[in-house]
Amino acid sequence: MPFILTHWVNLICMVILIFTGFYIHFPFFPAFMGIARGAHLFFGYLIFANCLLRVILSLFIKSAPAGGTRKLERDVKSFLPQKDNRHQLGAWIKYYLFLKKDHPLGGKYGVPQKLTYVAIPLFILFTFFTGLCLWAPTSVVGPFAAFNNLLGGVLVTRIVHYFCMWFFIIFSMLHAYLANVEGLAPSKMMFGWKEHGGLVYDPDAHVIVGEDKLDH
Amino acid sequence: MCMTTKESCTDRFDAMLETRGVTRRRFLEFCGAIAVSLGLSEAMVPSIREALAESVIGKTEGALTPVIWLELASCTGCTESLASAETPDVATIVLELLSLNYAETLSAGAGFSLEEAKEQTIEAGGYLMVVEGALMEGWEGNALKIANEKAIDIVRHTASKAAAIVCAGSCAVDGGWQAAVPNPGGAIGIQPFLERSLADGSFTYEPNPGGLPPIVNVPTCPSNPEHIIAVLVDVLLVGKLPELNHLGVPSLMFDQYIHDNCPRRGHFENGEFVYQFGSEEERKGYCLYPMGCKGPQTKNNCPIVRWNRRVSWCVEAGAPCAGCANANPTKQGYNWVDLNTPFLKRFKNLTIGDISVQPALVGAGVAGLVAVALAAHGVGMKLTGRTKGGADFEEVRAWDKKHPDKAIGVAAAAATSEESKASDAEGGDE
Repeated sequence: MPFILTHWVNLICMVILIFTGFYIHFPFFPAFMGIARGAHLFFGYLIFANCLLRVILSLFIKSAPAGGTRKLERDVKSFLPQKDNRHQLGAWIKYYLFLKKDHPLGGKYGVPQKLTYVAIPLFILFTFFTGLCLWAPTSVVGPFAAFNNLLGGVLVTRIVHYFCMWFFIIFSMLHAYLANVEGLAPSKMMFGWKEHGGLVYDPDAHVIVGEDKLDH
Repeated sequence: MCMTTKESCTDRFDAMLETRGVTRRRFLEFCGAIAVSLGLSEAMVPSIREALAESVIGKTEGALTPVIWLELASCTGCTESLASAETPDVATIVLELLSLNYAETLSAGAGFSLEEAKEQTIEAGGYLMVVEGALMEGWEGNALKIANEKAIDIVRHTASKAAAIVCAGSCAVDGGWQAAVPNPGGAIGIQPFLERSLADGSFTYEPNPGGLPPIVNVPTCPSNPEHIIAVLVDVLLVGKLPELNHLGVPSLMFDQYIHDNCPRRGHFENGEFVYQFGSEEERKGYCLYPMGCKGPQTKNNCPIVRWNRRVSWCVEAGAPCAGCANANPTKQGYNWVDLNTPFLKRFKNLTIGDISVQPALVGAGVAGLVAVALAAHGVGMKLTGRTKGGADFEEVRAWDKKHPDKAIGVAAAAATSEESKASDAEGGDE
């Protein structure tokens, strides 16, 4: 289950990066700065490597494009928009705003989910980049120095990096909420290593074709 | 230059210093300090000594580098910083003995004769132009007038034949604190002003038409006398400007963070901080980071060069760095005050119109709003019974229902079969 592993790495990195990030912003208790900075750097590199790994894996590893089906497709297809996602964004937004009563059809990921999941690796890259703009040894290197100069100084880059952190905090809140609000199955998979059944969606026919009860 | 030999030149200079209470030994120490500021080895000390001696003795021979010191919108802090030594030490003497042909504060003369001296110096060319204070462009340049002339015209005129320009202090570099919001007088630094004047054709540099005079920016508020003297000596010694970085600032002085060389850095790494002035931690000399110290994002060699003849400097004296060396002549609106206030907070305030807030409040505020929205949404999900596996799925995609002709998958199949049924039915009728 490479996805669960990379997800765990992400979770641990995010928690540690956010905690040490807050600490570096303002050291709210003594005797921790050296560790906080070291950990922040290490986990910053780790989450970048993990993000790269996940993106590369998605090009090679195959997984089911929808719950319950035995069909396998390259993972990247689940992330990038497919034919059956067209015209569904409005439906999803209406659904979440309680303006639409029934659940929009879709594969493993809905349209807003796909948009977010494509944005996240880019955002991790951007945050990693601004982090390197701030870290003294890399801050003087060409592109990083140029970016600092573009913004008008490291203090501004620092604030940008800080807001990136808040983006991840808010994303994590939304992510955890939306993943679990319609049942705790994703959490059971992540924390309890349990697969779940559910209605089976056929991505070619665009309909629910049955239900997978996992009792076979 | 000395007409006599080098030995007699330095001997005469030593004698001059002695009459002013400066021993030969102290002068050599001073030369050594300059060598360090310039990043030169100790082996260069004799050359520095000669260059200074030649330049100073040269005055009596009439071949000294003339200097025009323009004081624009400033607090005179940079001049004070250079000139307010209690005893006439070497730095002051060197400056006194430079041919300071024009300086509002330091010149003995005043009025018409002084303006005329400036005019003659400009006419002759080849002088060093030092600028202290911001240029004011506001009200068509009427925001700042000297001797009934607009400062913007004075700067263009003086710069047109200068061998080089030294911008002493953050104000002269990018407008400094006078350019801080709302900047009604239109404060601007010399380099950005001349760049713009060159672009709109209101300024021509006579020695190199189409180009700008060489400019050395020496930020900090006030400019550190050691820096100014080091730059002046560099110009006298090697006859060229020190190595500059992308901001036109001497690399050797301004390429490292204050944080990198701070004497309190050990306390930072240990996590030993001052959280309140007057506390036990402050007495112990712990790190001032939580008090808003801007050392980690300010580049200057203050911890090494220090101030007031190398006695102390802000952080050593117990004040968090205010980041006064953050001057950026390539960008307007990034002066050190706008960039660093409030000085005792970790971040600058974000300002939109009249509202100023700390970034932390913005981040926490948005996250709080999202949390409230999610909680409300959760209640909605519960009320609509969607928390157990969500609502029922739609049978076909809503869009497909409305656009059967463009539908895909099952909906498309259904649509085609209906069509064929319809056509079959029509066929049946016939």
